[in-house]
Amino acid sequence: MKHALHKMNPSVKFLAITVCMFTMAFFFDPWTPFVFWIAVLVLQVFLSQINWKKWLLFMLPFFVTAFGYFWTTLVFAEEQSGPVVWSIWNMHITEVQLNHALSLSFRVLAFSSLSLLFAFTTNPVTFILSLMQQLKLSPKIAYGVMVGYQFLPVLKDEFVQIQQAHRLRGAAQEKNALQRLLGIRRILIPMLAGAVRKAERAAFAMEARGFTGERRSSYFQVISIGKVDVVLVVLFLIVLVLSCTNGLWLS
Amino acid sequence: MLKSWKLKEIVLMSLFSVVFGIVYLLFVHVGNIWSGFIGPIAYEWIFGIWFIVSIICMYIIRKPGAAVVSETIAAAIEVLLGNAVGPRLILSGLVQGLGAEAVFAATRYKRFDLWVLMLAGVGSSVFSFVYGYFLGGFSVYSTGYVALMLGIRIASGAMIAGVGGKAVADGLLATGSLRGYAISRSKKGEARA
Repeated sequence: MKHALHKMNPSVKFLAITVCMFTMAFFFDPWTPFVFWIAVLVLQVFLSQINWKKWLLFMLPFFVTAFGYFWTTLVFAEEQSGPVVWSIWNMHITEVQLNHALSLSFRVLAFSSLSLLFAFTTNPVTFILSLMQQLKLSPKIAYGVMVGYQFLPVLKDEFVQIQQAHRLRGAAQEKNALQRLLGIRRILIPMLAGAVRKAERAAFAMEARGFTGERRSSYFQVISIGKVDVVLVVLFLIVLVLSCTNGLWLS
Repeated sequence: MLKSWKLKEIVLMSLFSVVFGIVYLLFVHVGNIWSGFIGPIAYEWIFGIWFIVSIICMYIIRKPGAAVVSETIAAAIEVLLGNAVGPRLILSGLVQGLGAEAVFAATRYKRFDLWVLMLAGVGSSVFSFVYGYFLGGFSVYSTGYVALMLGIRIASGAMIAGVGGKAVADGLLATGSLRGYAISRSKKGEARA
């Protein structure tokens, strides 16, 4: 039970989450995204084992973003009809405005919880393998992406190295944002040049070992779709339907 | 479409995406917290940085699909790196790539001068804005505010992705590491050390 979301097929999870998000985009009342957000949290509590401290840390910026959406919607709303519910100085906030603002903020929270649900329960490599096996992604792209993923630590080290080399030669670090934006070129070009060479070497090595990019009939690591996936997709759909029809059972 | 692609070109796009994935982290430090308080408009002025991969890759590789494939790979890599925005990033990457691709397709993949690259940045801006308009629910904002957001994003797409992308790729070309790619072949007439 506690591992259901971890065991779910990544492609199926990806599709289920995408369907949920696009459905949510049609609603502008505060309750639908709110109910959906709570339901996603409930799913995550009962069907996965994650580090909640880490989850909260990732979620914090989204609370700030949700707040940004909240006041932006209040100030720059298109529709200003309906009874006034709240007045600060000479700004009058109507019910419609407040509802829209709450709806968009909850939407941000619902989307981020969905994303974190995916990020915290999915192994990146399994996700790519599943995209190749279930969603017919070209093996050329799939393995190409995985090569890039494997190079991440190497490139990170290189990034630090280049920065240190600049410092060693007395290049000052820029203080303001615009200078930093322009100064990034000094780090970017050596890194990209290194990336070009690494890419060529990796591609030659793969081809030398017989990688053609043709689709295979069998895989070493098979990612399959099982009963868990069916049950979880049904659960996601129930959550979606429940939150979309909240008007029927909440009032 | 993928038949004509060499493996090294695909791996190149993937490694570029990793490099830019690291660069994006820097930008998060530049303006994450204040952006939250300012609301959805805060990210608009640096939005172009997210389109830059597709423009650089198309400028270097010059094959149909280079913009859309590279941008999607970049998004997928960001998801793999543990970006909290999660799987929906892949869809937005696809949409942004399609915007740039549409512009290159309109020139039949023959012109790669500064104007076309800037237009490609604008294409990405417009496509991604339409997508964001729908998913972010921008329709509740007043028309003036939405127009302002779109305007800033288009300017950012043209300047950061178009002009910046060309500058980075030209700088890279000057290092001589791109000898095996289409970008070097087009300049055969010129003597290069």
